[in-house]
Order: sequence, then structure tokens, then C-alpha cells
Amino acid sequence: MDVHMTYATQEIWTWWLAIYLYFGGLGAATLAVTFLTDMYLKPDRGLVIWGAGAGVILLALGSMMLFGHLLDKLAVIHVLSPLVLFKKPDAWIAWGTQFIIWMMVWGVLYALPYVRETEFARQVPVIRNLIDRSFVIGIANLVKRFRRSVGWLAVINGVGVAVYTGLLLQSFPAVALWHNPAVPLLFTISAFSTAMAFLILLMYTLLKDQADEHVRVLYERIDLVLIAAELVVLFSLYQYLKNGSESAVRSLELLWNDYGWVVGFIGFGLIVPFLLELKGVIRGWGGRLPILTASVLVLMGGYLLRHYFMYAGVYAYPW
Amino acid sequence: MTHYAMVIDLNTCVGCNACMAACAMENQTPVWDKNKWRTYVHDKEIGLGSDVHRRFFPRLCNHCDNPPCMTVCPSGATYKKPNGIVMVDQDLCMGCRACAMACPYHARVEVTWQDVKEGQKFYGSDYRRRRPSVDKCSFCEHRVEQGLKPACVETCVGSARLFGDLDDPEDPIAQIVASGVARPLMPHIGTRPNVYYIDDIRWRG
Repeated sequence: MDVHMTYATQEIWTWWLAIYLYFGGLGAATLAVTFLTDMYLKPDRGLVIWGAGAGVILLALGSMMLFGHLLDKLAVIHVLSPLVLFKKPDAWIAWGTQFIIWMMVWGVLYALPYVRETEFARQVPVIRNLIDRSFVIGIANLVKRFRRSVGWLAVINGVGVAVYTGLLLQSFPAVALWHNPAVPLLFTISAFSTAMAFLILLMYTLLKDQADEHVRVLYERIDLVLIAAELVVLFSLYQYLKNGSESAVRSLELLWNDYGWVVGFIGFGLIVPFLLELKGVIRGWGGRLPILTASVLVLMGGYLLRHYFMYAGVYAYPW
Repeated sequence: MTHYAMVIDLNTCVGCNACMAACAMENQTPVWDKNKWRTYVHDKEIGLGSDVHRRFFPRLCNHCDNPPCMTVCPSGATYKKPNGIVMVDQDLCMGCRACAMACPYHARVEVTWQDVKEGQKFYGSDYRRRRPSVDKCSFCEHRVEQGLKPACVETCVGSARLFGDLDDPEDPIAQIVASGVARPLMPHIGTRPNVYYIDDIRWRG
């Protein structure tokens, strides 16, 4: 029965799930990095508001992708309560949903005292009316008192979201490309790498404070290490697929024979930004354009990784 | 304890597709879309030149003892009964399709709101489904509870499908499986399936 197999890719979870995984990882890692920076490196109102804002908006957009494709949208109510973790502790979507919800809640709370201090919030009537309410002021004061605890709750849930995006794919045992320990690692590293790129982009364009130079440099260095780690994990994955089951070998053939993966993701999404950032770290660049280019390429590569991963998973059917 | 299982003999399956039809009518599946049938018989030509034969390969949910579709289900809609049958609670299923991604046997099929509407027209007032879900074979649990066999087994003209209790040593199913002549599909994945196949190639060769 094993000699006449059919090998097939799937059309169930496609580009829209790649967006869910991409926005989830990027948004969650951005929030986690900005909050850690604010707590331990340099208190930075702008960075926290951008981090929390991007985290919440990207997670909301990503979740809408999944929600929009549910067959019965009302039934989502069954996974919104934290009690679902007692009922289904083995289902990563249950964990992911809770991580996403609580990351958003703690993220908004952590940013609240900063939001109350910004001019922009005061100029928008809806936000101004909301943040001047007594219970909101009370919550903001409470958050100030327990700032680090709230920050860590947001960070833990954010890291949880980033790791979850990989664990979700790893939980499908039929596909060798997904069902291996490299996947959560790869997706987590990629999430934090894209978050660094997003923040570098932000700090070179919209948040141009000279005093943040050491934070920018640190982000560039961390991103460099993350891209290097991603390349190592990818190399390991390549070796695993090359000598793996037929499902693995076919996934490898799909990926490594595709210019979008090899040139788009590995070439322009990893190697080119790695070289650009390496020169920036070792010798520095005269202008900001090379680093901005590297950041845009890393962000593009982050999506390509997830896009190709979804399409290259191969099922082996014995008929 | 009862442990239901099925044995499919590929030597005697003639590809009449009666099992598909019986299943569809019994379980009111979306017959207008062949990708949404709970059981499907694949038709494949095997061999070279004049030495070719057709193989009919029925597939269905394997009611695994370690079902990945149940593990990944976030709402608990996919669950396993003590008798080994893996079921879907359509009221709990939100249709995320994680189960379809996890299943190595292509056994999960989506039934949409559009299918529910179509079903109301096709099956009329007898139609039982109320909501969409990611559907699957239930071993005709409603029939099995009454001491009947699943519809596909009952209707099979070649007796290619056998159904019984693995935990009953007197049951022919248990004896066939214990003899090693019937084997599960892709056991290396670790799903511990409860549908076993008797190979045809070995006998033909």
C-alpha cells in the first residue's frame, strides 16, 4: 500500500493565514521589544505608543484574516474565554487566542499612562473624552504603580504569540516541512527580526530623536544576530529536508526550486540585509538609506517565509 | 470496552461507489460537491504496458486513537468517544479548519453556510444539520448505537468493508487485524488509526 503514494499540497490555509502568522509575529514582537526597551533601556513614550499601537493593530488585522475565514463566526465565542485553556490545553490555537487577547489588553494598559500625556490624544475628541474619565485615570495611576508587572504580562503574552505562530504549524504531523522543531524557532527568530527592522524603520523616519542613537544601534546589532541565527536554522532545516521523508524532500524541491524563496526570501530577505547591516555595524554607513533598505527587505522577507511555508507543505496520501 | 474499527479489503473493492452514495444519503452530506463527501473511493491505474490493473481505494476518517484533528481543535468540537469513534460537535465547531490541516488522511471536509442552505433544499424537512462545521465520518455512530453496521459497510456488494470491535477476540475484525494481514495507513505518523487495509498488490503479484 505504500508504493503508490500521491503527494499533494493544500489549499485550505493559504496566503491569508500567512498574513495572520506574519502580522501576529511582527506585532507581538514589536510590542515586546518596545516595552522591554522602555522598562530596562530608556523610558520612551513615543516608542511605547508606537509599539503598543502597532502590536494591537497588526494583531487585530491578522486575527481578522483568520476570523474572516471561519465557517461559523459566531462559534468563535467558544475560544474567547480563558477557561478554554482548561478544556483544550493541547490546542495551540486556544493558547494563541488567549495570548493575542491578553497581549492586547496588557499592551493597551501599559501604554495608557503615556497616551494620557500625549498632545495627539488630547486633540482627538473621542480619545480625549475617554482618557479623561475618572475610571481611566484610576486605571492609569494603577498601571504607573505596577508598571513593570503590567509590562512583563504584556511581554510574556507577546512572546507567547510569536512562538505560537510556529507551534501552530508544528502541530500538523502529516507534513514534514511543518512538523519539526526548527519551525517554532524559525518563526520566533523571524518575528523578532522583523520587529527590529520595523522599529529601525520607525526610528529613522517617524521617531527621529538623536538621543535614541544608541537604541537604534542596539536594534541593528540584535537584528544582525537574529538574521544570522535565522540563516543557521534555515541551513539546518535544509539538511533535515534533504535527507528526510518523501514529504520533506518534495517540500524542499518546491522551495529551493522557486525564485521567490531562494532569491526573494533567502537572497533579498536575509543575505542582502545581513550584509548591509554588517557593514553598518562594523564600519557604519554615511547615510541612513542602506539601513532603511535592509529593514524594508527584512520585512518583505518575513512575509515571504510564511507565504512559501504555507504553500510548500506536502501531504503524502497512500492512494 | 468496545473499540470500533474497520477493515477494508482492496482485493474485493470493485469501485461501484455504493459506499459513497449510502454514506451521503445516510449522513446527508453535500453530494453536490465531491470534495465534501465523508468517504471517497479513489480510482488509480497501477502497472506498466499491458500489465495494468485498476485499484479502488476507499478512504474515510481513520478514527485514530491519537487523533491530531482532535488535538489541534481549539474549541473541543472534535472529540473521541470511549468506543473509539471520533465525533464532531457542530455547535462547537467554528470552522477554523485546523483539523483539516492536521489530518494525514484527508478526512475532514468543510460544510459551509451555503452547503447548509443547499442541504435544506436537497434533503428537505428531514435535513438534520443546523450549522456549518468541518465534517467527517462518524462510523455512522447513530446506526452503530442501534446495533446496525455503518451504511457504507451495510451496502458494500463486495464485502470490502468490514466493521467490528477490536476488543472482542471473537470478532472477525479483531482476528484479521491480529493476523497482520490488514495494516493501518501510515502508522509511522503516530496517529494509531483504526481503519485497516488488506493489500491487493501482494496477492495480484
